[in-house]
Amino acid sequence: MAKLWAVIRREYTERVRSKWFIFATVFGPVLFGALLILPPLLALRTKASADLADIVILDATGAGLGQRIAASLPRTALSPRPRIVVVAPDSLTAAESLATHEVVRGDKRGYLVLDAHTLAGDSARYAGRNASSIGDMEAITTVLRRSVLAVRLAALHVDSAAAVDIAALKPQLATERLSERGRAGSGMVNAIAGFGIAFLLYMSIILYGQTVLRGVIEEKNTRVSEVVVASVPTNTLLAGKVLGVGAVGITQQIAWFTTGYLVARVRVPILHALGAKAEAIPFPSVTPGAAVVLVLFFVLGYIFYSSLFAAVGAMVNNEQDAQQAATPVIMLLVAPILFLQTVLVNPSSTTAEVLSWLPFSAPIIMPMRMVVSTVPWLEVGLSIGGVLLACWGAVWVAARIYRVGLLMYGKKPTPRELLRWIRSAH
Amino acid sequence: MHPTGDTSAISITRVTKRFSAHTAVRDLSLTVPRGAVYGLLGPNGAGKTTTIRMLLDIMEPDEGSITIFGRPHTERGITDLIGYLPEERGLYKKMQVRRVLRFLAAIKGVPGKEADRRITSWLERLGLRTPDRDWGLAKVDELSRGMQQKVQFIGTLLHDPQLVILDEPFSGLDPINAQSLKDIMVDLRKEGRTVLFSTHLMESAERLCDSICIIAHGEKVLDGGVAEVKARHAGRFVAVAFNGNGAETAAAVLNDRALIARADDSNRTLEIQLAEGADPQQLLRRLVESGASIARFELVQPSLHRIFLDAVGATGVEEGITGHG
Repeated sequence: MAKLWAVIRREYTERVRSKWFIFATVFGPVLFGALLILPPLLALRTKASADLADIVILDATGAGLGQRIAASLPRTALSPRPRIVVVAPDSLTAAESLATHEVVRGDKRGYLVLDAHTLAGDSARYAGRNASSIGDMEAITTVLRRSVLAVRLAALHVDSAAAVDIAALKPQLATERLSERGRAGSGMVNAIAGFGIAFLLYMSIILYGQTVLRGVIEEKNTRVSEVVVASVPTNTLLAGKVLGVGAVGITQQIAWFTTGYLVARVRVPILHALGAKAEAIPFPSVTPGAAVVLVLFFVLGYIFYSSLFAAVGAMVNNEQDAQQAATPVIMLLVAPILFLQTVLVNPSSTTAEVLSWLPFSAPIIMPMRMVVSTVPWLEVGLSIGGVLLACWGAVWVAARIYRVGLLMYGKKPTPRELLRWIRSAH
Repeated sequence: MHPTGDTSAISITRVTKRFSAHTAVRDLSLTVPRGAVYGLLGPNGAGKTTTIRMLLDIMEPDEGSITIFGRPHTERGITDLIGYLPEERGLYKKMQVRRVLRFLAAIKGVPGKEADRRITSWLERLGLRTPDRDWGLAKVDELSRGMQQKVQFIGTLLHDPQLVILDEPFSGLDPINAQSLKDIMVDLRKEGRTVLFSTHLMESAERLCDSICIIAHGEKVLDGGVAEVKARHAGRFVAVAFNGNGAETAAAVLNDRALIARADDSNRTLEIQLAEGADPQQLLRRLVESGASIARFELVQPSLHRIFLDAVGATGVEEGITGHG
């Protein structure tokens, strides 16, 4: 036990002391914070410009569409009004070339062409200096749509004030997830959270599993492993490595989640202070029980995969060979990721159920299913049991490969040799 | 854990280890007396490292048994009594020297405070901690190769092992480090510890060892105390020197296979190994009769190097053998 502890301590402290760890742990949340704060700020930048209305409107519709648009274009008290030029359809080309000159000279920002097609609901054209500004174009499009709608309604003899009201309607779709236990928070939020959690589990397992792999190769390459295995039984060494690196992972995740949570909390005040509109990020509704299960799946999934990664490390002598030898393990890990969307769309489908039972995909798929839908506890329990069994098997096989492989410096073993390693070790 | 009353430090009984393609160790038995410096000699590929790895329970013998201080070598805690320096040496490169040593002590069960005290004293003893510079605070890869070797010795000895096993300890050492290692080995013996080391350098073995075992092709060729082994071969070796062209005059005698098994011409002196059944008197008489002028005729103790070549030669000398060191 003292030896196991010594190995865990070395794995943990050496990694936590490294510059990389400190960098990643500190800058992870900074990156996360930037992801939460920058998009609204960028959206602020893409808002329509103040002199949006400083344009020429060439109205060939003969239905007063130009007037309506001019009245609805957002503008400040100081910025110029749009100039409306009502033209006959056949003189539109001449009017357009005039307007082009005006824009080129810099008198106006751009011109908008309205014709019979526009009224039919098909198209309008805009040319101007700000044609590539997403914010401006969206503002004009919105006004255009509403105005066309209002004109058409007026043509149907709907009261013009009522027509404007109807055109301005903008219903929002609020979504809410329903489960067997009733309301369970916003469906969209849970879907995103489910996806996020599955992906996070996948990333963490790969990240820390590869760390174990590299650690084993380093010990082999520096030949320090022989001294260590002369003092520590290989099983203890393997366990210490996996647990030590796992502890590093958990430390990092706790740091990330804590700061991530805090950043999410202070995000709204910060954005308000910067003048951007923001609403609090809704947190997914996860019960404490589910949270514990989530952590359990992470730990088991990590143990399963990192033991396999350790075995791969013991089989090879350098990182290039490791990439190749690790492919089967990584494929096992990627397989559930390929099905993420399928499971997300229909978390109760047979595919989803099977994937959340298979031990190699369960640690990623089951937590996601639990967040996006309601999984019976019995099913969760069976899945955990399966993963536990798989962990036991993976550790058993890995320990044997590890014991033999650690002192093998020749070429990579063939599958047949590998089988012999597994059988021969005691 | 204290050693039992058994007087052997290591006892290997009829051990065999097979790999897929070949048998590395075949039916090997040997006993290392407690408190001795014991040399495991043999050409490269003779099975020395495999034997040592089995001692340390890194590999499992297919047949046979091993006891260390009278206990089965797989017993819990036995490895804590052993200090091991493998042939392929290495440390965690990015770790601070002190932290590596603390780790190596910890996996042998030495508590942190005690380890720190011993580390300081060892670093000072081997000149890695002077008033000017404390290499203990440097990272391993900032040290020169020689200094890393010293750190590795310290790691081997930090837990005050009763039994020290060194696999090819002199390979890759410069003469100064080799000497400090020899000094350490002599000190260890004075302190009553047992040292087993493997080597193919016969001169080191001859000067350091109390007992030896020569193995080749995984099999024991001979073993015993160095003096005893030499005595066993005494009387079979003669050093002869001639005046003038005496060697030519005596050529017929020197080429007589019934009398001389082998003659090593080291320019001024011929080292002669007598053939089976021949005796030195007979050789002397024949040389005198040949009329050659004899400057020296002396019965000599064979060097371990000679015995080694002789013994291993009997089973076929292998490539990679180097007698001088």
